[in-house]
Amino acid sequence: MKRRTFLQKSMAGVAAAFAGSSGLLTWVPRVQAAVISKTFYITEGYIKQPDETQVYFKGFSSNANGLDVPGAALIVQEGDSVEITIANTLGSNHSFVIDGMVDSGIIAGGQTKKIRFTVGAPGSYLFYDKLAAPYNRLVGLHGGFAVMPATGTNELYPGSPTFVQQYLWLINEIDPLWNTQIEQGVLPNTKYKPRYFTINGRSMRVPGHPDYGNPDIDAGYNPDTRLVGSIGDRTLVRILNAGLAIHSMHFHANHVEWLARNRQIRADIWEKDSLLLPNNKGSLDVIYPFQPPVDAWPPVTTGHFPMHLHDEMTQTAGGGLYQFGAATTISFK
Amino acid sequence: MFDRNNQSLRMRPGGKGSTCYTYPAAPATPGLVTADATFQRGIYMNGSLTMDDGRRITVWGFTDGIGGWRKTAFPSPIIRVIEGQIVHTVLRNSGMFWLHTIHHHGIEPSSENDGVGHYSFDLASNATYIYQWKASHAGTYFYHCHTNAVLHVEMGMYGGLIIDPPEGQGTLFSGGPRYDLEVMWVCDEFDSSWHRLRWNAGSCGADVGLNDLNPDYFIISGVDGAQSALTAPGVAVQMNRGQRLLVRYINAGYLPQRINFGGLTASVFMSDGRPFPKPIQVQSLESSSAERYDCIFQPELPGRYIITVEHLDWVSGNTIGIARTQITVS
Ligand SMILES: [Cu+2]
Ligand SMILES: [Cu+2]
Repeated sequence: MKRRTFLQKSMAGVAAAFAGSSGLLTWVPRVQAAVISKTFYITEGYIKQPDETQVYFKGFSSNANGLDVPGAALIVQEGDSVEITIANTLGSNHSFVIDGMVDSGIIAGGQTKKIRFTVGAPGSYLFYDKLAAPYNRLVGLHGGFAVMPATGTNELYPGSPTFVQQYLWLINEIDPLWNTQIEQGVLPNTKYKPRYFTINGRSMRVPGHPDYGNPDIDAGYNPDTRLVGSIGDRTLVRILNAGLAIHSMHFHANHVEWLARNRQIRADIWEKDSLLLPNNKGSLDVIYPFQPPVDAWPPVTTGHFPMHLHDEMTQTAGGGLYQFGAATTISFK
Repeated sequence: MFDRNNQSLRMRPGGKGSTCYTYPAAPATPGLVTADATFQRGIYMNGSLTMDDGRRITVWGFTDGIGGWRKTAFPSPIIRVIEGQIVHTVLRNSGMFWLHTIHHHGIEPSSENDGVGHYSFDLASNATYIYQWKASHAGTYFYHCHTNAVLHVEMGMYGGLIIDPPEGQGTLFSGGPRYDLEVMWVCDEFDSSWHRLRWNAGSCGADVGLNDLNPDYFIISGVDGAQSALTAPGVAVQMNRGQRLLVRYINAGYLPQRINFGGLTASVFMSDGRPFPKPIQVQSLESSSAERYDCIFQPELPGRYIITVEHLDWVSGNTIGIARTQITVS
């Protein structure tokens, strides 16, 4: 399998208690809070974009010689005790922050720091580096942090509609000029012009492209990102925006149930096919119900459909290459 | 069938030895039945829109009738059907080289009828396809091209789509509010520099700047929102006190918008073709690309109410352009 980076992308698992690589979250309901520990290595490297450009990134990586952008998603339960060890392998200062929950303070270059915190309210959070904001976050130092309710059920929050599986999509956009300036240790001083658009660090590939169907490269086939279900497989999708731009999430084949935005629980649940995703760590929580596509005639129960951002600039790469942007596939098995 | 390793998905060779990621084909419609409603659509790519400053901007769209080629309307003619109907949207791609599709946004048909090129096919030149779908939920939708959509939608290849409930026009959805008159505000922004590109610019690998939208015109239902939309028939509304007006608001642009109702209060009953559990009362709405909101107004006081549609920068959230129309209540 081709690697999307010259640095081997870590495929190593994380603690079984909160397993998950970056998107599809596996979760075993439990009655009691647990102690969860995880080590992240702050690393750097290059990731090839759809137009072959190698772009510089930093990441919270699960492996000292890997590069994970985004970092492995963590799924925990309200009340859990979390112990995160951050080993900063780079020369620059970084941090590990979850808004409202933890702030590591400065972790100097070469330093390793252990931080402990108790998990707060259920919902979908971003962990990220808040130093040199927003640049360290944009250059890849971010990941998803999913908090399940203490009830340990398949709910987003106590009493929410239920689901049978959950995914986490981390949206980011990339201005390679900014990444290069960060690589050179200077703060970006050019107007922000993103050229690549990713979900869980990957853009779409389409038939005819050599990386089409490669699960490590193609956002449409990456198993953490591609929504796969049979009829009735109600799927929670936690959508987080690490980027600077406001986006529109557009689902084909089913409307979604809109449960929360920026962790604000919606009093009334609306069914939507397009939703505004706020920028700068904004979030949406929706349930994709995997119902038979309601307007199909003759009726169907299988098929492949896109989920794409509808602010169509995001559907490009390198100023062209429509279909190579922030999108994935919804597969009705 | 319409995904990985599908042998029917063949790429089209591009110019200068490059590869264009398009998928021309002209299959038969699976499970074709007799339709309850049929709409014929052709293609025009030589339309022009005269802006308030006198500039003419090239627009593309769908014609009414399969003959195609002459601009009949911008936005493209409305598709209006009744809940429960089986619908045929017949697209005749009457061009020599270019590819297009119709995606009925918010309508949820089979993959083959969803009109997304890389999941099914882009309709080949000089070919015809019958998109077959069932109108299951009353509400406001729109249809647009999904071939090289970043450019083709920007060029104007969209039109309104309304599903009326079985009660017919005058009722928003079964069990929902009634209205005496209605208007559709399809709000879009144009970056005129994009309107000089070839149909496949952005499909063949070259950097053509389609990541960077810098709009310079802001339009409502195909009318310049600088001045003309304030009075244009079919956009500006004249109504009497006590009447109930339905505004079908569509964000057909790419940037977020904020629509302000000029002091009027909207009762918003549904969005994206689905009723809310409870309507909401608002004096403005924020939306993102492709969202629709159905707003009922019943003004108590006569007057002129200026409606503003602010187009927001997707990073700063600042207003970068404003389109205006009005509701005059006598
Ligand atoms: Cu088109
Ligand atoms: Cu659309």
